[in-house]
Amino acid sequence: MASAQDAGRGWSMAGRCLTALVGGYAAAAGLATLLARLLPVARVEATAWGMILSFLFYAAFGLWAFHEPRLARVAGVIWGIAIVTGGAALLLGVRP
Amino acid sequence: MKGNGVRQSMAWIHGWLGLLAGWILFAMFVTGTASYFRPEITRWMQPEYRPRPVGNAEAARTAVAWLQKNAPHDEQWTIYLPNDRTLATRVFTRARPSPDPKAPRPPRRPETRLDPATGVPVEARETRGGEFFYRFHFQLQLPHPWGRWLAGLCAMFMLGAILSGVITHKRIFADFFTLRWSKGRRSWLDAHNVSAVLALPYHAMITYTGLITLVAMYTPWPILANYAQPAAFSASLYADTASQKASGQPGRLADIGRLVEAASAEWQGARVSRIIIGNPDDASSTVTLLRSSDDRLNARSASITYAGVSGERLSASPPLGPAIETAGVMLGLHLGWFAGPLLRWVCFLLGLTGCAMVATGLVLWAVKRRKPGAKPFFGLSLVDRLNIGAIACLPAGMAAFLLANRLLPPMLASRADLEVSAMFWTWFGLAGLSLLRPARRAWIETLAFSALLFAAIPIVDLVTIGGGAFDGFFLAFDGTMVLLAAVLGFAAWRLARRPVDAARPRRRVSLAVSEVREAMDVA
Repeated sequence: MASAQDAGRGWSMAGRCLTALVGGYAAAAGLATLLARLLPVARVEATAWGMILSFLFYAAFGLWAFHEPRLARVAGVIWGIAIVTGGAALLLGVRP
Repeated sequence: MKGNGVRQSMAWIHGWLGLLAGWILFAMFVTGTASYFRPEITRWMQPEYRPRPVGNAEAARTAVAWLQKNAPHDEQWTIYLPNDRTLATRVFTRARPSPDPKAPRPPRRPETRLDPATGVPVEARETRGGEFFYRFHFQLQLPHPWGRWLAGLCAMFMLGAILSGVITHKRIFADFFTLRWSKGRRSWLDAHNVSAVLALPYHAMITYTGLITLVAMYTPWPILANYAQPAAFSASLYADTASQKASGQPGRLADIGRLVEAASAEWQGARVSRIIIGNPDDASSTVTLLRSSDDRLNARSASITYAGVSGERLSASPPLGPAIETAGVMLGLHLGWFAGPLLRWVCFLLGLTGCAMVATGLVLWAVKRRKPGAKPFFGLSLVDRLNIGAIACLPAGMAAFLLANRLLPPMLASRADLEVSAMFWTWFGLAGLSLLRPARRAWIETLAFSALLFAAIPIVDLVTIGGGAFDGFFLAFDGTMVLLAAVLGFAAWRLARRPVDAARPRRRVSLAVSEVREAMDVA
């Protein structure tokens, strides 16, 4: 019984780590990309702001993934942001 | 994750981030700190090379003359001009790509170091010099691109550890002044706090700016969102060069020295640090000169492009917007080229506090979990052994690298690779041998061995290069080695005279104080 519980906890921790590491990167990259695409400043400037801030986003997502106790919420928010921002950036396409 | 408070969860993740990346981070901090003296290490490792310094324009002329003789038909030449720290001119060339579009792009050929006065390759013992520590710092001696990815991941862990560490510590100001020696676990916690908090802005800065140095590799996505041709992004930062196609008509370069002087005059006398020459034997050749950033924080240099044959000024890099300026300053802060001798030593000491922060953090992880009298569980032994291998044995490897430079015959073939092998064999060999000893003895003995190797450097230097060592520069370098030996020796000595596992009973007063403090920590 206890071992089944342990296994469940192990899987949940693995999911959390994956969400923080991969999902956090995807969400940060998506957010940085959308920001770079939409910021109403020169192309080169917007690109640089997105790149500069990307690590801050990644760190924030990563840490929050280990603070919020509900894994479903962690996964929903982080993967959700990744999909929404990444999808929006794809739909918008390259800045004309 | 224990508890629901933000400080509890941050303390928990701080521990894991630091533990998982700690060993690699320690090696990155140590070799990165050494890299503040990259040109000096190279200079020390080629003691027979003492060139006559010449002006910038003259160095450019001799380098171009050598390239015209040895790589006349290449697509691109890059020349790094010498300065008061780097003695030799460094040149790279890239061959013209094959006309077949499916053929892979020819790689940049290895660097050649030229004597600035004569323009012939430097005749001195073959060595990687300070370049080796610098490359190891972010490539970890792994195949490209895996070393850079691993270094980036560890840097992200570091950033997470710093942020979570700050959130965990409410009493940041008090920790600044708190160091209780010889109190077992408390002392390790204090040492970790002092080394971390004392230089916190430096640690945060160096970690974030380190990530920025490779941001185009780690997060290229914003470029793709804004540019149909990703190369256009970097092209927009510099004077336009890459777009010039070879005309197919032969052409001869104008006097490069005159262009160097013209650019320097346009920059109010600032030095030219780098020259990039495109299609050097073609009528449409271009010469791009980059401004040195030794005198400013921003490391993203301004540049001017001239037509190679006529010497006509074609374009200059556009003025920088705030974001590019920010990125350039971040790059500059990480590289530390702006720092004069005094500030460079300050950077070096701050880098050492970073090494101390990572090392004490790793030791603290183990000390916290050690139960007096109980046999350590497997994970704890593993961490303890890896700590010894990473913290106490790496310095021995670095000292062996420098010693091998003096002890291997100067004319030996592939001696540069042998120096590198000496470092890894010593590092990992010592770590392997230390497994034969009980953990406590292993700490003391490996630290003492590292100290001995550093202490041996000045002696070996004196014996092998004789009177050449009595020169301000070599004396200062050897003196620094003695200081490093002293620091390592002090660590070994303190460990050796400390009673086993802080068996000393704590006094009642300090016990009460620490209980109050811990209660405050948790509150």
